[in-house]
Amino acid sequence: MGTQEPADTPASSGAAAAEVELSFLVFETPNLNSAFWDAAIARATAKVPGVKIKKLVTPNVDRTAYAKQLDASGNLPDILQSVNPAGFAEAGKLAPFTPEELANFTAPTAGAIDGKVYQLPYNTQVIPVVYYNKDQFSKAGIAETPKTYQELLDASAKLKRAGLTAMIVSGGGADTWADMYPLTGTVATDVYKKTPDWLVKRRAGEVKFSDPDFVKAAGKIADLAKNGYIDKTGLSRSYADGEQAFRDGKGAMYPMGSWFATSADNNKPGFEIGAFPWPSDDGSPVTPTFTGGGTLVSSSAKNVDLAKKWALAFDEDKENNDAFVKADGSIPAIKGYVPPADMGPVYQATVAIYDQGMKDGSITNAFSQEAGDASLPPGLADATALAVQDLITGKKTAEEFAAYLDEQYAKATQ
Amino acid sequence: MTDTKHAVRGGPRLATPPRTSRARRSGRARLTPKLGRFALFALPGLVAYGLFVLLPILMTGYYSFTNRNPFNPPTEFVGFRNYVTLAGDPEFLQALTNTVIITLIVTVLANVGGLLIALLLDRPSKLYVALRGVFFTPVVLSSVVISVIWRAVLTDDGLLNSALRGLGVESPPGWLSDPDLALYSIAWIITWQMLGFCVVVYLAGLQGVPRELQEAAAIDGAGGLTRFRNVTWPMLAPALTINTVMLLITGFKAYDQIQVITNGGPGTGATATMAFQVVKEAFVGNRIGYSSALAAVMLALVAGVSVVVLRVLQRREVTQ
Amino acid sequence: MIDARTHAWLRPLVAIFVGAAFFLPLYLMLVNVFKPGDEILPSPASLPLPPTLENISGVFAREDNLFTFGLINSIAVTALSITILTVLSAMLGHYLARSTRLFSKLLLVVLLCGLMIPIPVILSPMTSVLKAFDLMATLQGLVLVNVGYYVPFGVLLFMGFVKSVPRELEEAAELDGASKIRVFWQVVFPLLRPASASVLIFLGVWIWNDFLTPLIVLGPDSGTTVTVGVYRAIGQYESDFGDLFAFMFLATLPILIFYLALQKNFVKGLTGGAVKG
Repeated sequence: MGTQEPADTPASSGAAAAEVELSFLVFETPNLNSAFWDAAIARATAKVPGVKIKKLVTPNVDRTAYAKQLDASGNLPDILQSVNPAGFAEAGKLAPFTPEELANFTAPTAGAIDGKVYQLPYNTQVIPVVYYNKDQFSKAGIAETPKTYQELLDASAKLKRAGLTAMIVSGGGADTWADMYPLTGTVATDVYKKTPDWLVKRRAGEVKFSDPDFVKAAGKIADLAKNGYIDKTGLSRSYADGEQAFRDGKGAMYPMGSWFATSADNNKPGFEIGAFPWPSDDGSPVTPTFTGGGTLVSSSAKNVDLAKKWALAFDEDKENNDAFVKADGSIPAIKGYVPPADMGPVYQATVAIYDQGMKDGSITNAFSQEAGDASLPPGLADATALAVQDLITGKKTAEEFAAYLDEQYAKATQ
Repeated sequence: MTDTKHAVRGGPRLATPPRTSRARRSGRARLTPKLGRFALFALPGLVAYGLFVLLPILMTGYYSFTNRNPFNPPTEFVGFRNYVTLAGDPEFLQALTNTVIITLIVTVLANVGGLLIALLLDRPSKLYVALRGVFFTPVVLSSVVISVIWRAVLTDDGLLNSALRGLGVESPPGWLSDPDLALYSIAWIITWQMLGFCVVVYLAGLQGVPRELQEAAAIDGAGGLTRFRNVTWPMLAPALTINTVMLLITGFKAYDQIQVITNGGPGTGATATMAFQVVKEAFVGNRIGYSSALAAVMLALVAGVSVVVLRVLQRREVTQ
Repeated sequence: MIDARTHAWLRPLVAIFVGAAFFLPLYLMLVNVFKPGDEILPSPASLPLPPTLENISGVFAREDNLFTFGLINSIAVTALSITILTVLSAMLGHYLARSTRLFSKLLLVVLLCGLMIPIPVILSPMTSVLKAFDLMATLQGLVLVNVGYYVPFGVLLFMGFVKSVPRELEEAAELDGASKIRVFWQVVFPLLRPASASVLIFLGVWIWNDFLTPLIVLGPDSGTTVTVGVYRAIGQYESDFGDLFAFMFLATLPILIFYLALQKNFVKGLTGGAVKG
């Protein structure tokens, strides 16, 4: 089990006598397209005899909402990719993985719910990394990347003076979630650094959103918008349009999850892209990350053991992880895994930020991305993303924003 | 359906063989004529409606008194708690306001615009017939398709603002990104989609206005506006009713455009309608019980509007 | 209102201008269907010269056959649903138009309420009902849901029209000894042709264009309809408007043709009972 070597058996091995057909819910994006999934599924299936996979595709990227709809109509698929387990797990709809099964993962307890892991912690993402347009930085006379938050503000001011938009934040259409990244950065530097288990404390009622730390983190976003460093235009851009806007040079900085790295390498814009971590006030390192996001197995799958075996094969397969790395910029959290040597410069810069974070012990959670016990209650991440738009348009002050989140938190947990 | 037919026509309890003379058969049907007619004509449609619309409504009503949450069992009866929460929920009140605003804008704008365009196109030549087709096309398109097209037009660096910038407008409005504008943009998109429907219905109405009446009024020296008010407008009353009903329905139901274009934003609930809110509570927040209470309130409003509309319809029939 | 004699040139001019402005968004979709993907963003409004069929053939060449399979499902579901709906709502509309009892009036109110219920509001319990009959994830289930949901609209249209059919006609036929059902099919129904055309067109368009019901009822593993395909394609193509517009164009084409084929009858049917035209 769990071999790191490429499968040496041919993908099209003869059909076993009694095949179990398992359904597998995946989502398609420009990077993770239909051909990508088909190939990855074939590789895993070759390793687990007796399984036949029926691929199901979500109608849009919001696979968790779709999984809920499917579940509500009694059609929860046997195996699911990258669905948020919150709710499903507590209701007993998912099968937990045992510590033995998770032996090959570097963070075997990531995303645990009541001590049990329901979603394979197969990769790590740094959220956010600030990607920047090197041409525009030099045009604005910014010699070095910002190390402190004040330097970030200074750089933004210089960019603005040079007639450039400092920061691209998207979040239009159905992609409201895409506006979260700057806030995830400020919450890491101003809240989680001091109180790593802040959301667990929030659950216990020991802290509130309206406490000064969180309000300060929110206030930074409001100020960035008020000073014109974050362009409100972004609020009508979908996630993909936002990425396109950065490529088109419509903004100098693009705070985004580390998955943007390979997209930047694979499809190079007309300028060089650099990367730096979201800076804290005093310049001490903070590296917000999320580990998890892998495959889940329904507790009512036709054959749970076989489904789990297949899910493990899928997530541990070296070639599959190479494909994820190349297509989606993931940082696999599998023991002994080494990314392909030919990865591009933006990916290398991104991994360097993560490695540095591991070295100086500055890893924190990434706000609103958490899974498991330290996560937001269902619906709250969406509510937060919508409220961030109010923060950016100036409709809500940081205090109002925080009060709103407390209110929503109460409603979601009542 | 066939079963029903047999039961009525030649049910087993009626001993006489079915193929007797027509006169006798119709006489026999008089045994239970009312019920038979009901079972034959009304029942099949009503069963489908009852099973897939009415029953779900009743279930919604029942759920609204529970704390049903498929991810947080057990389900318990909570009485009116959901309704009490609802009354003080600012999100619900905003969704209600948004729905009313959209419905009003769509109803007024599409009616007025539809009438003006119908008057413009009320000529027999080929040009006007072709233009009717142009105006009707959006009615045939899916609102998903229409949403995608309009999003491309209205985003901040979309086609409209590119054009405006080309004309020298420095910072054109954020049609979809400004929380104060987005709702009106959505209402406009729905209006655009429904305009052709109104045009076609008003044109049909206009063709029913007798030419002699118009000419007679003209000879009497009535001006264009007077002629319209006294001769044409009264004849358009039925068309107005049809359009108003359709537009009310469309506005009240608004969901697709919001789902595809704004996701209820920008910000907290700037464009969230009641239908959108119901789905969000149910499928994002998992609160089926609460979502059902919201749905029930919405249904009550719908029922109220329906009764009023029916009154209007019937009054019109009386005056006809 | 515009004085036609003095400004004979004004009306066509205004009409063309308003029509063109109205058509602009559709024009943008149309030209970009036939433009290479990389030319769309730099020059969205230009004419596609020379036109390319790349985007169109791309839709057919999809490995997952999203369009082709969706098309078959869409045609099956739409055709079945509107046929059943026409028959059932014609009969129910006839019944309600001819009945004068309070009970029928009540039924009508209950049905009219259904006109204003957005599908999302009842979708979740609707699936429970389907599940109870083991009809989830089947085309039959989707057809039945469509029938239940759209019957009120069909009834409304037919009812208005039935009232324009003289009652005496039916009574005469019944005196001749024809059964109620024969009278209806042989005497009344043919007279309702314009209303049938409207019902077919409207419900055809709505059912073809619905994405939420098939999305949920069919589920992911029993195929989709073309409109669900469009919804799905939005996420996949993201900024690739050429492919997306081509998909939308192809998904719209069949229903547009259907509408054009029936349009002559339908305006009359829509307004038949109400607008005497």
